[in-house]
Amino acid sequence: MAARAFQRLPSAPAGRILVLRLAAIVLSLFIIAGVLALSGHSPVTLAELILRSTLGSRFGLEDLALFMCPLLLTGAAVTVCGTIGLWNIGAEGQFYAGAIAATGVALGMHGPAPAVLPVMTIAGILGGMAWITVPTLARAYAGVNEIITTLLLNFIASLLTYYLTTGPWRDRISGAQVSTQRLPVAIPEMWGIVHWGFPVAIVIVIGLALVLSRTRWGYEIRIGGANPEAARYAGIPVRLRIISVMLLSGGLAGLAGMFEVAGTVHRLQGGMANNFGYLGIVVAVLARGSCLNVIPAALLMALILDSGIVMQTQQLSASVVLAITGLILFMIAIGDELAHYRPVASTTPKGKAS
Amino acid sequence: MNKQSAPPGVAPGTPPVLQLRGIGKFFPGVIANKDVDLDVWPGEIHALLGENGAGKSTLMNVVTGIYQPEEGEIILDGYGQTFTSPQEAIRAGIGMVHQHFKLVQAFTVAENIHLGWDEAPRRASPAVMEARTHEISERFGFPVRADARVCDLSAGEQQRVEILRVLARRARLLIMDEPTAVLTPEETGELFRALRAFRAQGNAVIIISHKLDEVMEISDRVSILRGGCKVGTFNTADCNPSMLAATMVGRDIVRRNMRARPEGAAPIATTPVMQLRNVSVRDDRGVDTLRDVSLDLYGGEILGIAGVAGNGQRELTHVLTGLMARTSGEILLDGSLVARTDPALFVQAGVGHIPEDRLRSALAPSLSVTANMALREYPYPPIGTHGLYDAQAAGALAQGIADLAQVNIPDFAMPIRNLSGGNQQRLVARREIRIASRVLVAAYPARGLDIGAIATMLGYLTDLRDQGVAVVFISEDLEDLLNVSDRIGVMFHGRLMSIIDAEAADMATIGLLMGGRDAAGTQPGATQ
Repeated sequence: MAARAFQRLPSAPAGRILVLRLAAIVLSLFIIAGVLALSGHSPVTLAELILRSTLGSRFGLEDLALFMCPLLLTGAAVTVCGTIGLWNIGAEGQFYAGAIAATGVALGMHGPAPAVLPVMTIAGILGGMAWITVPTLARAYAGVNEIITTLLLNFIASLLTYYLTTGPWRDRISGAQVSTQRLPVAIPEMWGIVHWGFPVAIVIVIGLALVLSRTRWGYEIRIGGANPEAARYAGIPVRLRIISVMLLSGGLAGLAGMFEVAGTVHRLQGGMANNFGYLGIVVAVLARGSCLNVIPAALLMALILDSGIVMQTQQLSASVVLAITGLILFMIAIGDELAHYRPVASTTPKGKAS
Repeated sequence: MNKQSAPPGVAPGTPPVLQLRGIGKFFPGVIANKDVDLDVWPGEIHALLGENGAGKSTLMNVVTGIYQPEEGEIILDGYGQTFTSPQEAIRAGIGMVHQHFKLVQAFTVAENIHLGWDEAPRRASPAVMEARTHEISERFGFPVRADARVCDLSAGEQQRVEILRVLARRARLLIMDEPTAVLTPEETGELFRALRAFRAQGNAVIIISHKLDEVMEISDRVSILRGGCKVGTFNTADCNPSMLAATMVGRDIVRRNMRARPEGAAPIATTPVMQLRNVSVRDDRGVDTLRDVSLDLYGGEILGIAGVAGNGQRELTHVLTGLMARTSGEILLDGSLVARTDPALFVQAGVGHIPEDRLRSALAPSLSVTANMALREYPYPPIGTHGLYDAQAAGALAQGIADLAQVNIPDFAMPIRNLSGGNQQRLVARREIRIASRVLVAAYPARGLDIGAIATMLGYLTDLRDQGVAVVFISEDLEDLLNVSDRIGVMFHGRLMSIIDAEAADMATIGLLMGGRDAAGTQPGATQ
C-alpha cells in the first residue's frame, strides 16, 4: 500500500469549492498585479480605477447590469441543456437569430411600443428556437452530435447578420456601418441605462431553477441527463424531453438577442453578439450545472468583461485582457479540482456541506 | 490433481508453456484469486470456465502483466517470470485477445497490425505494411483484407485482426476472453478451425468462456474456477455439459424450504397475471437470444429461472418489463395483449424490476438519494401532482424506503454513488418491491450481497409472494432458487428448456437442463 497524503473524493462539497474559487481569484489577481508591475503599470492605480468604474460607481454598476443581462440568459441556456447531458455550443447563433427576428418585427411592424415589444419578444424566442431546430431533431432522431451542429450554425447566423446589416436592412438614414437604423421601439429603462430586460432575466433564471427542481418535467430532465438508461427504465420519454429542453435552450439564447437589440444596442449590428453565446458556456461551467449559480457566475464574467474595457482605456491591449480572463478561469478550474481532495488522515466523513 | 504429467503427444521432459503456482490477487475487500495452480501444455486448448465474478478475467490479467499477483509465481517454459507490464508478457510470447477489441477504428488492418510493434519497418509505406500483413495473414491462416478500414469490418473480421496482431508478435500462448460472444455461428466455426490449426503447430490456447457446448467442442482440457479458486482441471473427453454446469455452480446445497406459506398468505392465483406466448428476440447480429418462450406468471407464486449466465436471462427480464421489443410472439397482461414496448406501461400495471446491473440501469449515480428513490413514483401523488415534483414528499418516500431497507443514510441530498454497492442494491430492491403490486422481476437480486443480506433479500421475495404478487426470480445460485421457488424454469440458448416443480427437482435434472439436455438426456434442437 503506497502511502498517499491525499484522497480524491467523487464529489466535492459546495463550501470547499467556493473557498477554493475565492482563493483562486485572489491568487490570480496577485499574479496579474505582479505582471502588470513588471511591465511598468501601477497595479494599485489600475485596481483603483477598475473598482471605481465597475462596482464603485453608479455608471459602473449600470454597465455591469447590461453585461450581465445577456450572460444570464445564455448561461441559463447552456445550463438547462447540460441538465439533460447535452452541450448547446450554439447560443451565439441562436442569439443572432433571436436578434434578427426581433429586428425584423421592429422594422416591419409599425405601432406603439406596448404592441410591438411583446411581438418582438415572441419573435426573438421563436428565432432562437428555429435556429436550434435542426440540431434538435438530428440529435433526437438520428443521434447526431449536437456540439458540432449547434457550433456550425453560429457562423451562418453571424454571417447572415452581416449580410442583413450591409444589405437589405442597412442603415439608410444615418449611414452607420454594418448596422440597421435605430429601431423605432426600445425596452423601457428602469434604472439609468439599465432596461427592464435585466430583472426579467434574473426572474427567468430563478424560475428555471424552480422548474428544474420542482416539476415533474424538471425531474425527468435531471434523470435523463444523469443516466439515460435509468430514464428509459423508468418509462420517461427521453426523446421528447431532449426536444423540449433543446428548444427551450435555443429560445433563451434568442431572448438574449432580442433584449440586446431592443434594450441595449437599439440596432442590429454585425458582431453584436460579442461572444455572449460562447461566454454563456463559461458561465454554465462556472455555475456547475445549477441554475441559481448562473447569477453569481454571470456577475463574475460581467466584472471581467467590464474590467477589460477599463484596461483597454489604459493602453493595455485587448489580448492582455483575454489572457487575464483565461488566467482567472484556469485558476478557478484548478481550485475546483483541488476541492475534490482531502487529507487521508481525516477519513471520517465530517462536514458534508452541500 | 495438481501434479499433472505431460499429456500424450508432448515429448517427455517438455515443460508446460505456462505454469501458475499458488497465484493470489486481492482487491480491497475482495479476494479475486487465491491459490490458483494451472498448467498449460504446448499443443493444447485449455478452457477456463466459471460464473461471472469467479476470477477468470483477473487471473488472465495477472498472466498478461496487467495486474501483478500478491502471491504465487508464473513459470514460463520452466523459468520463473514476473511481468510488470503487458509489453513484457507479449515479448515473452503471451498474447491476449480481449472481449472488447482494442483496435483503432479509423486505421486500416495493416496499420493496426503494425501499431506499437517494435519490428515494424522504420519507414513503412501503406504498400509495405499491406504486403507484410498479407504475408502474416497467409502464414497463420487468418485471412484479412489488409487495406480495409477496421470500422468497415464485421466483428469476426475484427477479431481476426486482433488475433493476427498477437500472433505476428510471436505469441505461443494465445488467451481469448469470451471470443464467441460477438460472433455469428459461422464465424465461430471459422475461429475454431483456425485455433485448431494454431494448436497443431505446438502452440497453446487458453479460452475463457461460459458456453458449455463450445468448451466441449474446442477444448482439450477444462479448468473450472469458483469464487476465485480453482475447483479442478479435467480432460474434456471425460466431461459432459451437465457435469460442467454442476461443477461451476455447485457448492453443497443446503435445502431449506421457504415455500411454506404462513397463515393468511395469498393463495396461488388461478388465472395468470402475465403471459408470454412464443416470444422470440433476435439481436442486431441476427442471433436469436430468446427463442419461442412461453410462460405464465401467477400471483402468489415464485417462478425461479436457472441457467448459466448469458443464455437469454437478460432478454427475458427485459421483455417481461417492457424494455426490449420482441421479434415475434405476444405478451398478455391480465389477459389483454400488450401492444407497445413501453416500460411506462409495465410500471403502471404494477410490474417492478430489480435489474441485473443496478448502478447502470436503475440508478442515476450523480443524483441525490432522494431523487433516485422517487424514480418509480414521481408521476403519482403525493410526489407528483399537477405536473409538479414535491421534493418534500420525495424526501419522505426516500426516508421510508431507507428505513425498510435498513440502510443508514447520513444525508439524503448526497449523490447515491457515495453509498456502498450493497446498500444501493437494498434501496433499489425496496423501491421496486413498493411498486410491484402485481409482478416483480428480480434479476440476480442477491449477487454481491453477504450471507445475511441474501437471507433478507429472499425474505423480501417470499413476503411479496404471500401478498399475492407474482415473482420471477432469476439467479445462478441453485440453492437459493430451490429454497424459495415454487416452480423452476431452466434457460439454455435462449430457450426455456422446461419448467419443473421445485419441490421435486433434483440437482441432476437441473444440471442436465442447464447443459441443454432435457430430463431424458436428449438434446431437443439445442444447436442450429
